[in-house]
Amino acid sequence: MFKDPFDPKTLLKPRCSCGGDHAPADHARLSAVPASDEQRFSRVVDAAVLRAVFPVDAQRRQFLKTVGATTAMAAISSVFPLATAREAFAQGGAPEKKDLKVGFIPITCATPIIMAHPMGFYSKQGLNVEVVKTAGWAVIRDKSLAKEYDAAHMLTPMPLAISLGIGSNPVPWTMPAVENINGQAITLAIKHKDKRNPKDWKGFRFAVPFDYSMHNYLLRYYVAEHGLDPDKDISIRSVPPAEMVANLRADNIDGYLGPDPFNQRAVFDGVGFIHVLTKELWDGHPCCAFTVSKEFATQNPNAYRALLKAIIEATAYASKQENRKEIARAIAPTNYLNQPETVLEQILTGTYADGLGAVKKDPNRIDFDPFPWNQFAIWIMTQMKRWGQLKGDVDYAKVAADVYLATDTANMMKEMGLTPPDPSKKTIVIMGKAFDPAKPNEYVESFAIKRS
Amino acid sequence: MDRPLQRPLISVEGLARRFGDSNQPAVFENIWFGIDRGEFVCLIGHSGCGKTTILNVLAGLDQPSDGAVIVDNREIDGPSLDRAVIFQGHALLPWLSVMGNIAFAVSSRWPSWDRAKVQDHARKFIELVGLKGAEAKKPSQLSGGMKQRVGIARALSIQPKMLLMDEPFSALDALTRGMLQDEVLRICADTNQTVFMITHDVDEAILLADKIVLMTNGPGAKIAEIVVNTMPRNERHRNDLHRHPQYYAIRNHLVEFLVNRSKAFDQEIADGSYDPRRLKLVKPGLAAVNPPAEVVPLRHTL
Amino acid sequence: MTTLKKSLGLRAALLSLLIFAAIVGLWQIAAQPPAASGPAVDPEYAKLVGAAAATGAKSAMPTPADIGVTIWKHLMDPFYVKGTNDKGIGIQLAYSLGRVLLGFGLAALFAVPLGFLIGMSPLVYRALDPFIQILKPVSPLAWMPLALYTIKDSAISSIFVIFICSVWPMLINTAFGVASVRREWLNVARTLEVGPFRTAFKVILPAAAPTIMTGMRISIGIAWLVIVAAEMLVGGTGIGYFVWNEWNNLSIANIVTAILLIGVVGLLLDQGLARLTKLVTYPE
Ligand SMILES: Nc1ncnc2c1ncn2[C@@H]1O[C@H](COP(=O)(O)OP(=O)(O)O)[C@@H](O)[C@H]1O
Ligand SMILES: [Mg+2]
Repeated sequence: MFKDPFDPKTLLKPRCSCGGDHAPADHARLSAVPASDEQRFSRVVDAAVLRAVFPVDAQRRQFLKTVGATTAMAAISSVFPLATAREAFAQGGAPEKKDLKVGFIPITCATPIIMAHPMGFYSKQGLNVEVVKTAGWAVIRDKSLAKEYDAAHMLTPMPLAISLGIGSNPVPWTMPAVENINGQAITLAIKHKDKRNPKDWKGFRFAVPFDYSMHNYLLRYYVAEHGLDPDKDISIRSVPPAEMVANLRADNIDGYLGPDPFNQRAVFDGVGFIHVLTKELWDGHPCCAFTVSKEFATQNPNAYRALLKAIIEATAYASKQENRKEIARAIAPTNYLNQPETVLEQILTGTYADGLGAVKKDPNRIDFDPFPWNQFAIWIMTQMKRWGQLKGDVDYAKVAADVYLATDTANMMKEMGLTPPDPSKKTIVIMGKAFDPAKPNEYVESFAIKRS
Repeated sequence: MDRPLQRPLISVEGLARRFGDSNQPAVFENIWFGIDRGEFVCLIGHSGCGKTTILNVLAGLDQPSDGAVIVDNREIDGPSLDRAVIFQGHALLPWLSVMGNIAFAVSSRWPSWDRAKVQDHARKFIELVGLKGAEAKKPSQLSGGMKQRVGIARALSIQPKMLLMDEPFSALDALTRGMLQDEVLRICADTNQTVFMITHDVDEAILLADKIVLMTNGPGAKIAEIVVNTMPRNERHRNDLHRHPQYYAIRNHLVEFLVNRSKAFDQEIADGSYDPRRLKLVKPGLAAVNPPAEVVPLRHTL
Repeated sequence: MTTLKKSLGLRAALLSLLIFAAIVGLWQIAAQPPAASGPAVDPEYAKLVGAAAATGAKSAMPTPADIGVTIWKHLMDPFYVKGTNDKGIGIQLAYSLGRVLLGFGLAALFAVPLGFLIGMSPLVYRALDPFIQILKPVSPLAWMPLALYTIKDSAISSIFVIFICSVWPMLINTAFGVASVRREWLNVARTLEVGPFRTAFKVILPAAAPTIMTGMRISIGIAWLVIVAAEMLVGGTGIGYFVWNEWNNLSIANIVTAILLIGVVGLLLDQGLARLTKLVTYPE
């Protein structure tokens, strides 16, 4: 996990919580986990001290090369009580901060974040986490920026937008884990049950939860593939998820591409029907994410690791079909999603009423996979670009790597005995059209309907 | 009577007042007169000629545009507890009881007094104006006459050196007014108060005043002359005032001034005989007996 | 005379009751779920959807009886805590009240002295007037994003929003009340050589108190309206959060309960201040 600071070849710029600079090439070597916690802590402390003594990497490397690691240690020990520092750090291997606040929006996408509370995933990591229900995406963003939350449930495009400074001041934000994949749907008002072809949707009023959301990009993609310009032929507005059903019921909108439980809830209340699951547009698309500020991750490396571990464990647990009913029961109460258990069960198990009298079965209606593929980030940015949210040139790969911490997640998964996927191997096919993350600009150009 | 090189208690010297910018006509200008210690002086003039403004300057509530008011040989520069004011409207504080209103004045006069002492003192003056038993009442529960009594009690309670009254009885019915006039006369005699009072009621002036200052109409109002009430105080009784031999002479003089001369005073003085600093002291009450009116300077020039 | 008044009051109360009964009755009838006449659905499907949807209809409004049951349930256990996001309605009301009183109190501490200054000095009045005129009509909730952005704390932000919305009526009324204190009362104080502080507290304050209190009454009404909206926006705690949370759940019965309680508390706040206003009002 931690690199040896006395290896002259190593750079010591703090990049993430674990103190490592995770260039992908270094990973195989770096992921050799030190034998014990003690060993790991002493490396961290040594690295910190060295960094303080030689802030310039080149100087430090020169010094180590000249005198050798052991001599360097001895020399530094003479002026700095390294042993004491190591000891202190080993004791502090526990989270720097135990009482944490994690914000969430009450939708099933947040399942791992929420269930980790009642099902004890946080407490298992020695954390006392308060999961705080939050009213909307802008609020969760602002509360996170205001450091009221230590970590938060966000939409996968949000950490990118925050880091890029779209819609807020640029603040380095990181996304160490995706929450869910799939799990969204286009819901239409019952009165449109005969208009199943998007070509008939001219003039429809749609809602999405947020401008910077997979929902917005998927809905735009979907209608554009059917020849409708999302800015001209239909109207799309941001509506908080909770208000979608009420608006559909009141006939203020014709439909929405929204998060569950509000698709299934519309069915439950007899207000709408599920036109299509987003899974059918792009199987395995990301939706929501677990995010922290770069600052929190850097300043509280242990708490950050513990938190991430809890989330990954919860996500792994949630990905197993046989656990889904139990999870539905755990997150249904007022304190969490505040929804009828049967609604959540239908979403999580994938055996659901479609709103038109049929019971459908699709076990992958929603799934949980924490891996923050950088390709997702690049695809999202191409859509920001396509619809004019992102102007000017952007270094897609760099922003993706800075924000979507695939290597952190991979390391953590390994440490937990899980097998992380190969970060370079991800094929993305959306409605039959393949996406090549190496050529984002060409991809944007390839669309007929676009704003840029 | 004036003594050489000595000012009266209150000396009004060259007073003028303009509202707005300086090329506006003055409400009044070049006003000179004096009030001696223990004297009761009434100011008579038509509504709007500037009587209240003069009183406000005397009280220190208003600054003259020109001239000064000298009290006790010192130019006044603001209100003082020495000069109590009885306002045209009673100006009681409506959220305070009768006792509260008077106690407010008393504790302003003697800030070191404790509550009991303040109330004892206030109670004396409430009794003096005959309001015993109404201490706890709020002004809204009092009749007009009672309110004005509270105003008088408040003014007297601070034991001022002089009283300034602005038409104190004008809003009252005749009966109440008469009673209050008697009371004020009695109290002023008892305490030998120096009083400056504005009125437009000729009979009230004759009953109360030792001197009556006649003011012409504005703008640019002047003091026309000073009428000396030659009826001695002890011969003035409200009920048989009109039987006094001098009464009609004085009354006619005042009414004649108000009805005719106050308007046309500028023509009257066209001969240049008028000197605002040496006003005529006229004694119409004696006129029938001693025809020539003497000209007496208001005060000696310094 | 009094018996006539009494009987009028009595009759009005009776009429109120009658209107109430009529509304409740009509509502009960209107909200009756339609008799199962819709297309017969697959029983397996019916299990997965709400009762109304199973018959092919939209979910119905709750009946007054449903709401009665919900209110009773909440009133029986108003102070429970079942987690960060699930607290009794009494606790939520207390949170909202606390915020309102804090924001309102701070606004009063700010607005009354400043209003005094403005009311006493035409210069200050002129100088501050443009600011007041521009800021006053801003919807309180429009301050929320700015507050969150600058204060970086949602709890303080909602108190700030309460502050900013309750400050104007108090400021304007105080300034107006102070400016329109009768000249003759001030003159009384001046002729008695009363110092500025004693004049402020003994003359101007009591003279302007009814106007100031009226401003406060307007303010607290606005504050109570705004807190519900602010809490719906920011979430976390409070009766506004409760409404929002139950809206998520589309639970009309809970929302109606909250609405009734919001109304009752608002009424109590208003009446409380009306009482206080009466205490400082003086007939002239
Ligand atoms: N504050 C003021 N500003 C402008 N004009 C005033 C003011 N006070 C009084 N005046 C004017 O001065 C004149 C005299 O007023 P006042 O002294 O009240 O008259 P009186 O008491 O003799 O009826 C009136 O014409 C009045 O309009
Ligand atoms: Mg007057």
